[in-house]
Amino acid sequence: MMAVPNSADKIVVSGFRHFFDTEDGPVQATGEIDLKIRAGEFVTLVGPSGCGKTTLLKAMAGFIRPTEGTIHCDGKLVTEPGRERGVVFQELAILPWRTVRRNIGHGLEIARIAKAEREEKVTRLIDLMGLHGFEDRYPHELSGGMRQRVAVARTWAADPDVILMDEPFAAVDAMTRLTLQEELARLCAATRKTVFFITHSVDEAVFLGDRVLVMTRRPGIIKAVIEVPRRGLGGRDWESFTTDPAMQNIAEQVLRLVRAERGAADADEKREAAAVAAS
Amino acid sequence: MTIANAPRAPARLPLPAGLSVAARQLSGVKILIPFVALVAVWWAIHAAGQFPERVLVSPARVWDTLVVLFSHGVLAEYISTSMSMIGIATAISLAIGVPIGFLVGSNRYAARGLEAFLRYLQGVSGIAWLPLVIIWFGFTHTTTLAVVIYTLVVPIIFNTMVGVRAVPEHYTLALRSLGASRMRLITDVYLPGALPSIVVGLRLGMGYGWRALIAAEMLVRQGGLGDLIFGARTSGQIDRIIGGMALIGALYIIVDRLLVQPLENLTIARWGVLRK
Repeated sequence: MMAVPNSADKIVVSGFRHFFDTEDGPVQATGEIDLKIRAGEFVTLVGPSGCGKTTLLKAMAGFIRPTEGTIHCDGKLVTEPGRERGVVFQELAILPWRTVRRNIGHGLEIARIAKAEREEKVTRLIDLMGLHGFEDRYPHELSGGMRQRVAVARTWAADPDVILMDEPFAAVDAMTRLTLQEELARLCAATRKTVFFITHSVDEAVFLGDRVLVMTRRPGIIKAVIEVPRRGLGGRDWESFTTDPAMQNIAEQVLRLVRAERGAADADEKREAAAVAAS
Repeated sequence: MTIANAPRAPARLPLPAGLSVAARQLSGVKILIPFVALVAVWWAIHAAGQFPERVLVSPARVWDTLVVLFSHGVLAEYISTSMSMIGIATAISLAIGVPIGFLVGSNRYAARGLEAFLRYLQGVSGIAWLPLVIIWFGFTHTTTLAVVIYTLVVPIIFNTMVGVRAVPEHYTLALRSLGASRMRLITDVYLPGALPSIVVGLRLGMGYGWRALIAAEMLVRQGGLGDLIFGARTSGQIDRIIGGMALIGALYIIVDRLLVQPLENLTIARWGVLRK
């Protein structure tokens, strides 16, 4: 099924399938995926490890070419990385030899934005992300949470239309993660970006997303789409999230879908192991 | 906005001024102890046995000879020849080695293919090339330079290559999604990312290169400290030989500790995480 691009759709993925070349021949990373993300929408994607989430995101970023199908951003075919699609990685991807300020301003520097304007934007993001007082520190002098704030700020400073995030908070401690999630929700509400966010965490997916996609085990396809009713711009904090029965219902529903996949994946593994043992 | 995590304290706490000066002096003394011991043993051996002048002389005699050579400007001449040779060789080796290391490092297949070859070249030392290079260029500075550059450039290429390959892929992916061009990736990611490794290669190379230089000077006989000590052999001037040897070691330490090591420390301090 070919999706017809619509002006309200920021990202259109149609007929996407990906295979990796390995020494034992091609391995299928994802099943067929069709997906549309509207401008200004925050879409989260949950799925078991190895289901192809990151492959899909990398293709959207333009880091890899899909084996089959196409990805359009604003009606233009994605063939390579571009400034209009920012990426926040799980691994620390800020540069250790640049200070916080110079890391955040890196995208603007690349875009040859004049120094005064650059400084102004960087300072605004430093304030927004609570990095005040750390402008001239190097990343190794910061905590994990602070570093990930710098990575988020760098992507936002470059002002892309679309932001792709691959488990950006997976490596920080649980308490910091809650704070970062709230900050991200506020930042998105304030800047109206289109965000595609990959996670392992059901709560994170429902807390942040306007729409939650659930992927099957590998080769992953999107097996369910759950709409999360829009919350007030300011009301995105964990306290109201955990006490809101409607939100908890959605989280439970998503959890059931994800757990079913995980159970099936475990069963697959056992069956494969048994087959190997028998042969 | 709340800050959940306070930053960790800087890794190195500055010592109180007086204490750090004392600590530095102590480590200075520690460095000198083996040298003092060596000279003492030498002195004792010389004093105990009745050695002819053509076999062994006293440390004091060597010192006097060095002072005389220095005051006549002879020593400065030999030293400046050796130092300018190593300087020129280092500059040329960096100019050749870093780009080659980059080219090889940015291509996975080339890197794998060349690794064994570079190791092989390191096995065929610069000195082993001397007979051939002398046939080509004669007993000239060009010959000495060729041998030293050959010795220096291999570790620089190798370590640049290793440094480039060690740059995490997500650094470059992140920059490409910020719109970085190929040139940008080189100046903003690969070059600074590989710099600590390049400095390691430079330091290793200068160590090997210095040794190769002295050996080449002994055979080429166009000035330099190698020429000084080898020339002194023919006239049996033990004082000059030992004095020259002492200088060769001293100059190496000075260049290494005062120029190259500070550079290395600077990149480590700045790069912190990368080399952990």
